[in-house]
Amino acid sequence: MTKAAWLALAALCTTSRLPAQGVMVAPKAVFMSSGSGSGSVTLLNPGTDPVEVVVSVFYGYTATDSAGQLRLITIDHPDSTQPSAAAWLQAFPRRLTLGPRDQQVVRLLATPPAGLPDGEYWARLAFTAKAGELPVAGVSDSATIKVGLTLQIQQVIGLHYRNGQVRTGIALSGLEAVRQGDSVIVHARLERQGNAAYLGTVHAAIVGSNGKPAGELRVPITVFFANRPRWAVSIAGAPADQYRLRLDITPQRDDLERQVLLRSPAVSDSVAVQSP
Amino acid sequence: MPALLAVAALPAPAASVHGQGQPVRVNGVRSVSFGTVFPGIPKSVPRTDALNSGRFDIRAAAGSQLQLSFALPSAMTGPGGATMPLSFGGGDAGYSATQSVASQVGFDPRVPFLATMGGPPGRAAVFLGGTVTPLASQPAGSYTGTITLTVVYFP
Repeated sequence: MTKAAWLALAALCTTSRLPAQGVMVAPKAVFMSSGSGSGSVTLLNPGTDPVEVVVSVFYGYTATDSAGQLRLITIDHPDSTQPSAAAWLQAFPRRLTLGPRDQQVVRLLATPPAGLPDGEYWARLAFTAKAGELPVAGVSDSATIKVGLTLQIQQVIGLHYRNGQVRTGIALSGLEAVRQGDSVIVHARLERQGNAAYLGTVHAAIVGSNGKPAGELRVPITVFFANRPRWAVSIAGAPADQYRLRLDITPQRDDLERQVLLRSPAVSDSVAVQSP
Repeated sequence: MPALLAVAALPAPAASVHGQGQPVRVNGVRSVSFGTVFPGIPKSVPRTDALNSGRFDIRAAAGSQLQLSFALPSAMTGPGGATMPLSFGGGDAGYSATQSVASQVGFDPRVPFLATMGGPPGRAAVFLGGTVTPLASQPAGSYTGTITLTVVYFP
């Protein structure tokens, strides 16, 4: 291949990696404490066009719905019973323009009220960026109807502010497992203990009567109050058998740095898998 | 103002994009394209249309969970404040853990959808279709609207 061809290929690859505007947000969860009172989020524009970003703060946490699916619950005006940090958390700047391949740090400043009880307080940070805009299409005919839709992207990450002594744990109850086709559907009630959100990992293993594993699932969990999640563990191809589910919950996460994880005992339970 | 001064005095944090987990990125690759529209003739774009469906690309850690939700306009605004109805049905959005328009899990763009990133490498795409319904007396001109995709990262 000639040098010119290599250069052309390199340019093509570069273009394909940067298909359109958009910002990278890191980290995907912010942990702050009363010791420092400040934090930061880094925004990076890997694209070739400037991107305007608006930063906002609101209160929210995740919980499961009636189907066991995680949902973000937001409360515009949380009362004093809610551990909200939104009212006393500020982001600077709140509006910025990122040039091509530019990055900027958004600083977070917490000014909690005096006498704030020990515990963890939560907020959500939203970064709203206007992305690619479709040029209005159509021939230049005044009798034509032309349509152009603009894309806007909002990325929302969580913020945990830890004040004083914080502790957490998880209580597991109501474990159920039912075989449905090639999967085992698992339900459990998870109730957070202590005064901070529980961050951990669930490992669900389906074991046959011969002691051999038929399927497993490993999923990160965050429990702010109480959840009743639904998980599907694939046991595709497994023969009919008397299976058991073993569920282990540990305060470990592959996607978070170890120092932000709070210690708590591991929790386990097991139950027979029911036939439908 | 005191708060601003306090922030200015903070030590500059390391400008790393590798804090808690892999950085996440969402791109608006293309919007829904209806092409030429004629008065009185509705026009639909399915989410499986490889050229005209809207597309958002997502990069995040493999196995991570995201909540996807749309803010969708019910009409577009045109010349002299004229509006043109725009609608989205229960199957007008699709999620592909492989970024393939041919391999999507359909979902209702009007309600939140929980997605799990595939991979590695942890790349996914969201596709969107819709229907525009111009009136028989629809004034000619350019009509615009904004589609917002909100991506919530867990934790």
